[in-house]
Amino acid sequence: MSADLLGPLMFAVVFLFIFAGYPVAFSLGGTALIFAFIGIELGLFSWNLLYAFPERVFGVMSNGVLLAVPFFIFMGTMLEKSRLAEDLLRTIGMLFGRLRGGLALAVVVVGAMLAAATGVVGASVVAMGLISLPVMLRYDYSPMLATGVISAAGTLGQIIPPSVVLVVLADQLGISVGDLFIGSLIPGLMLAGFYAVYVTGVAIAKPAAAPALPAEERTLDGAALARQVAVVMLPPMVLILVVLGSIFAGIATPTEAGALGAVGAIALALSRGRLTMKAVKETMDATAKLTTMVIFLLIGSTAFALVFRGLYGDIWIEDLLTGLPGGKIGLLIVANLAIFILGFFIDFFEIAFIVIPLIAPAARILDVDMVWFGVMIGMNLQTSFLTPPFGFAIFYLRGVAPRRITTVEMYRGVIPFIVIQLIGLALICLYPELVTALL
Amino acid sequence: MASAPTPGGFLARFVAWTDRLNTRLGVAVSWLTLAMVAVGAYNAVVRYLGRFTGWNLSSNAYLELQWYMFSLVFLLGAAYALLTGAHVRVDVIFSRLPERWRRRIDLWGSLLFLVPFAVFGLVMSWPAVRNSWAVLEVSSDPGGLPRYPIKSVLLVAFALLALQGLAEAARNWRRLRELKAGAEEEDLQQEGLL
Repeated sequence: MSADLLGPLMFAVVFLFIFAGYPVAFSLGGTALIFAFIGIELGLFSWNLLYAFPERVFGVMSNGVLLAVPFFIFMGTMLEKSRLAEDLLRTIGMLFGRLRGGLALAVVVVGAMLAAATGVVGASVVAMGLISLPVMLRYDYSPMLATGVISAAGTLGQIIPPSVVLVVLADQLGISVGDLFIGSLIPGLMLAGFYAVYVTGVAIAKPAAAPALPAEERTLDGAALARQVAVVMLPPMVLILVVLGSIFAGIATPTEAGALGAVGAIALALSRGRLTMKAVKETMDATAKLTTMVIFLLIGSTAFALVFRGLYGDIWIEDLLTGLPGGKIGLLIVANLAIFILGFFIDFFEIAFIVIPLIAPAARILDVDMVWFGVMIGMNLQTSFLTPPFGFAIFYLRGVAPRRITTVEMYRGVIPFIVIQLIGLALICLYPELVTALL
Repeated sequence: MASAPTPGGFLARFVAWTDRLNTRLGVAVSWLTLAMVAVGAYNAVVRYLGRFTGWNLSSNAYLELQWYMFSLVFLLGAAYALLTGAHVRVDVIFSRLPERWRRRIDLWGSLLFLVPFAVFGLVMSWPAVRNSWAVLEVSSDPGGLPRYPIKSVLLVAFALLALQGLAEAARNWRRLRELKAGAEEEDLQQEGLL
């Protein structure tokens, strides 16, 4: 067998194993070892190349950018475990509740604000599904609108800064986290705005699909509600704005801002009397596990990349991608299609670690703006997570939605949001200034 | 491993012992996430203050302590994450398979991927760790921390991961034998419970 074939074969085999369902990090590492042995047996690969592995792991350990990952996870999880996120959704629901479609608007606002800090699709969709879906259904929201808006808002947080996946994506693309945060700000908020416009449109056109909350659910009014908003809604909003603002203004690095944001989240929980031992322990446990999961994914893909390069797989991919008809446009179309389809099955982190390193060099050769490229990948993946039948967001929401909502209703519910996403994606392709204007 | 004649005592005790060890370590390192937040925030505030007041409370030791703790979290937490099923898997197909097949995938995955990978990590890191000890390697930045202890943790991490991988294999193998022994109906009941 020639070396030209081993690279592609390795790629095919690892996907086979990943789809069999064994943890991705170790499927990558194991496949790397198997192909290293095959390569050595065939005299195509040298064992010495593998001594770079511990050095790479050490590079991950001392990487100052990845250090931001546990901080942002800690901040988001703290807000969730201390049930501050839940309060937020309730309060905004009451604030907008008197309007038709108000509850759905509240979901969009909270999705944009909070999911930002967690950045893991599953977590935010499940949290919002548990809190707001029962309320929306109790007051006769159309199940399609309710599930659609929750799935869409839950994935929104991925591309609204400060999200963990953007930190990882910036690291993999070799750009600054701050730049990617800035670049994704307008597109992210634009999408949230489109969602809000759509929800309002439905409330006007089909009032029965999105009724206002009845008076008895709006337990607070006037001054009491204003106080509630000030206590519950403003502090987390200020926290997120301060974290982002300090990064954008160049006062703090993303890592520093993340650490301060985590302290801020602890302080918020404390001030609301929610800093229980249970909440702290759950936050620490979730942070440790999630951080480990992300970093080991990177370690596994590092081993994979090392062997893949040794077998010249990277050159194969690069030739493939830079030799596409249409040059830059051809690459963007193929990259978008590949990422969109992979997004059906694998989450943002796996794509960032496995696929991005393969595509990024070709994009750089063809002179694509890397910040814009990153935002486009984020938008694309977010659409992919929503798309039936595999969309991650639907998958997770299915798990917490009552049985009487059919999966088909959920599929139909997300379709308008997929259309909105595609419009958003088209807009940033046609007007790259949406990304680059603030840079 | 799969050819061990008696499934009972030793394997069961090995699994229980490994689970206990890695759970304790996992809980211990989870506290480091809180410590990391504290040190990270301290570093941020001190750097900012330093810019305006000229006080230099910051030190490379604190900056490095931050990523030392980060490294300890994911290195020593890896086996705990395996034990608690926190390592992400693509479960589009996996979640729809009968338990028998899920156990088989985990058994063979542990033996063919995880354990060899962990042993590989251990073997490959050994020379780097040995060199680091030989010169008692220290950070190249002034006031930085010694490097050889944190590099040594690599060995501990991969050893723990290999150990937990063997424990997972043993757990799945025992469960598969149980499933085989159990009647067909019992098998179905278990499916319903899981």
